[in-house]
Amino acid sequence: MDLTELQLDALREMANIGSGNAATALAAMLGRPVDLSVPSAAALPLADAVEAVGDVDELITAVGIPVVGDLGATVLLTFQPEAAATLCGFLGAAGDPEMELSALQEIGNILGSAYISAMGSMCGLELEPAPPQAASDMLGAIVASVLAPVAAYSDVALLLDSAMIVEDSECRFGFLFVPDEEGVATVLGRLGLWGQAA
Amino acid sequence: MARMAEMVVSHTDGDVLVGLGLGSCIGLALVDGGHRAAGLAHVVLPAASRHGAAAAGKFADTAVPALVLELERLGIRRHSLTAVMVGGAQMFTMGGGMDIGSRNDAAVRDALRAARIPLATAMTGGSVGRTIKVYVGESRVTYKEAGGPETDLLATVQGVAA
Repeated sequence: MDLTELQLDALREMANIGSGNAATALAAMLGRPVDLSVPSAAALPLADAVEAVGDVDELITAVGIPVVGDLGATVLLTFQPEAAATLCGFLGAAGDPEMELSALQEIGNILGSAYISAMGSMCGLELEPAPPQAASDMLGAIVASVLAPVAAYSDVALLLDSAMIVEDSECRFGFLFVPDEEGVATVLGRLGLWGQAA
Repeated sequence: MARMAEMVVSHTDGDVLVGLGLGSCIGLALVDGGHRAAGLAHVVLPAASRHGAAAAGKFADTAVPALVLELERLGIRRHSLTAVMVGGAQMFTMGGGMDIGSRNDAAVRDALRAARIPLATAMTGGSVGRTIKVYVGESRVTYKEAGGPETDLLATVQGVAA
């Protein structure tokens, strides 16, 4: 998967629109302003891709939302434990681990849906989120498991990565979009940017 | 360190080969009964696809022969090797027959059988991430789950040389 700067720029812009829409949805849900970092788009060798997300050994809580429809992808939200607890607190779900996971799944559902609906309308693609799943474990175990299906056809993974920050709080979390290789081609094709790459 | 799809071997006493944060991936350790060398592959998927020049460590069916070859280059004989497997979990139960972890588990076992390498022990399956460590020169292999203690899977047997 060799991508040109122009292609990466287009993917970054798409991530920006998708995560902007997701941040707006989260702000409405929480009744608080939500900031968004400028998304990064990078095509990285698998091992580097895992490390680009964070410390492989770190214990995190993650919510994965598989994307189905015109392309295959996964949306992954990654929280440090304190950030997850803060966010659950805003929703009145802090304290009980079961409640927390279910609250995070609901957040994942709303953010993932907002992201892919913006992306879908931008690219003219029919996309749907599958039910979200939450897990608490080592970052490496979670991220590598999300990348494994991509690895079947490529030694490189495309990561569209941004961070969301709930204003006036310590709550900051990662928002990752990982399309499979065919998904990358599909998106770039719809943007009129597939075909001239090596 | 064997990162995703990577493979390492060593015959330096005191070296520790590490596969951090294995989810659906498998950390496959091959240790030499004579305590001289060990190798570790971070296997991601069961079988090589057609897409050409992939890292050998990525697929179960290519990782086993490649790791054996690397160890043979260090002067280790194939029949002195024993295997230990860690990983193969299902981190997310996302539908669609996507349980890559258990397919990896089965594929590594098949590849070991094909290479006639005995599997000493395995800590695979479930839904937890694990880390594998291989202590070169001691033929010692441990695993660890998030927040858990480091536990011996294959412990040194003093005074026994193959």
